[in-house]
Amino acid sequence: MSYFVNVTLTGLTQGMIYAAFALALVLIWRSTRIVNFAQGSMAAATTFIALALVQAGWSYWLALVVALASGFVLGAIIERVIIRPVEGGNELNAVIVALGLFVALQAGIAIVFGSSFQSFPAPFGLEGFSVGDRRIALTPNGIYIIGAVIVTMLLLVALFRFTRVGLAMRASAFSQEVSRLLGVKVGGMLTLGWGLAAVVGSLAGLLIAGGGFVYPAYMDSLIVFGFVAAIIGGLDSPVGAIVGGLILGLALSYISGYAPRGSSLVTISALVILMVVLLVRPGGLFSSTTARRA
Amino acid sequence: MSRSSRRLVSVLAAATVVSALAACGGSDDGGGGSSSGGANEASAPGITEDTIKLGAHFPLTGVAAPGYSEIPTGLKAYFDYVNDNGGVYDRKVDYIYRDDAYNPSNTSTVVNQLVLEDEVFAIVGGLGTPTHSAVVDFLNAEGVPDLFVASGSLTWGEDPETNPYTFGWQTDYESEGKIIGQYIAENFPDAKVGLFLQDDDFGENGEKGIREYVDDQIVGAERYTPGNTNVGPQIAALQAAGADFVVGFNVPSYTALSQLTALQLGYKPQWFYSNVGSDPQLVGSLLNRFSQGKVTGSALLAGAYTTDYLPTVDEPDNPWVQKFQEIWDKYGEEGELTNYRLYGMSMAYTTVQALQAAGQNPTRDDLVEAIEQVGGDWKGPVLAPFRYSEKSHMGTSGMSISQLTPEGSAKEIQGVMTTDIGDAKIKEFDGKPTTPTENGIPDEEPYK
Repeated sequence: MSYFVNVTLTGLTQGMIYAAFALALVLIWRSTRIVNFAQGSMAAATTFIALALVQAGWSYWLALVVALASGFVLGAIIERVIIRPVEGGNELNAVIVALGLFVALQAGIAIVFGSSFQSFPAPFGLEGFSVGDRRIALTPNGIYIIGAVIVTMLLLVALFRFTRVGLAMRASAFSQEVSRLLGVKVGGMLTLGWGLAAVVGSLAGLLIAGGGFVYPAYMDSLIVFGFVAAIIGGLDSPVGAIVGGLILGLALSYISGYAPRGSSLVTISALVILMVVLLVRPGGLFSSTTARRA
Repeated sequence: MSRSSRRLVSVLAAATVVSALAACGGSDDGGGGSSSGGANEASAPGITEDTIKLGAHFPLTGVAAPGYSEIPTGLKAYFDYVNDNGGVYDRKVDYIYRDDAYNPSNTSTVVNQLVLEDEVFAIVGGLGTPTHSAVVDFLNAEGVPDLFVASGSLTWGEDPETNPYTFGWQTDYESEGKIIGQYIAENFPDAKVGLFLQDDDFGENGEKGIREYVDDQIVGAERYTPGNTNVGPQIAALQAAGADFVVGFNVPSYTALSQLTALQLGYKPQWFYSNVGSDPQLVGSLLNRFSQGKVTGSALLAGAYTTDYLPTVDEPDNPWVQKFQEIWDKYGEEGELTNYRLYGMSMAYTTVQALQAAGQNPTRDDLVEAIEQVGGDWKGPVLAPFRYSEKSHMGTSGMSISQLTPEGSAKEIQGVMTTDIGDAKIKEFDGKPTTPTENGIPDEEPYK
């Protein structure tokens, strides 16, 4: 029984990490209609900035704030300088540019911070809570991750649903021309969207890194799961991203824990889950419209 | 993946080669090599009158990079030292190593590059079981000597007919498993043993060896896939199975991950990490910064058992360690002499023995034949002799067992035992410890 609880809790925490990454993808999709393949490298870059500050003696929280701020700046600069020239053209162009950016940023991190494996501190404890005389696989740091992701999701829902800026962002992503005619500063909205998405991505990067190891490509394995989580959720719903992340995290944890040689089945299972979801609901579980092309 | 960082490393490696060549052109013959009179000829691909080109693949980036990326720096430092002291038959060794990020598809690419573009004479020290498995057929088909694979898989040495050009070097995982198994059976007969295994040859070979001695004590065997960093379900399963003695056949980063996960679960078995995953300095430094100092890595690992087939940096009185330290201080790059660099330097020592034994103007086949015929007699830093012959390309066969202290060093608790794969018995090693030559460079006679 305690084994089942531990496998579940491991999956829950892991799922929240996928969800954090999926949230960043959803945000950028809603605000620019681009699937940002460079998200992982961008998050890794800001995580390394935070790590450098922590190593220089800064507190975790100060480093977190600086990392999120630099994430915003990085996202905004990338949109203005690199993505803008291909925006509005062939959809594939932006995707290819993002992929190139993914590789370039990763190499940049290796040049600046080195490619060695380093541990990243966690702001809270890494020992599980005790229930009776047993310890369970839920740590104070795990609670922090879950809390941070849920708060971020609520903020995003609020932004898109209740603010004029959110509405303008959605409008400019959906139809640039119409928005412009209605007086929305489309360029500014796109930059803002990339900046905010990079902030959420940076947060995801830091949450994933905390109490684990980082190296320039540390986000690679999570990128796949993050994309799967986002697509399961429908790519434009923050709630969907969370649900997608949780479904994926739990399913993979059960497979890893109960299937024979489960650990080796994890990656392929993620793809099977993705395929099943897409076959049953091609738009994802939480898609609002079915006719929209992804 | 980290394609571009690999590119960068390639560029750097290429630059290193160019500068090494330039240095060769400028220097006169250093003398002191075991020259046998005749003129040097370009007797094989990768061999010129004054250079021998050797290649390797290592994980310089990625999940297996910690520790392992230091090994080629040790090899290079030792070769540089030899180059400055006469080289091998007055030839300088050019050691070109490229990054495969522990990803087998990258390994194929970089080894192709080494063999077809760089035209190396031999591959020396290619690291990793899954990675090297991807290129072993290619190297044997091309007839490229594939020396001293940095992995204890049985594949490299058990069947010289299939892989005539490939040689192992370190103690194979099955022999290691047997020695570990016997130790547990004798000293912990009541322990409930759990296995934490990498899901490939590494874990399988080790498990096979251990099961020969403690099969009835094993309560669970859990496997992880490299790259999947969530080992929560696996460690929780060992805990649920009631294992109070866990043997890990895993790479160093997974030692750290297993310790972290066990900490999370409040799971405190007796740990025994096989040689590969146990380096206390490395694992300690990985774990140290967590919880901002609340957890210290070397303390987490204190009391864990591990095995050795080489002297370690914890033995400053060992003549091999002293010699390698001296060479490292002068020829090494930044950083301390670590056990990984010591490993690289020891392997480079064996490589120089092989090149000397192959003769002044060797072909690739001469090198292979030399190792088969005289390699079993070589004295070097490894604790027990190599098993090289026409029938076996297995490396050394012996291991000692030590326990880690809270300070992060290792204390020997069982001397060197030797064995072989299959049903070979375990024997206490009765040979004497070896010492290096005066200048730390071997002096082997040509085998023919």
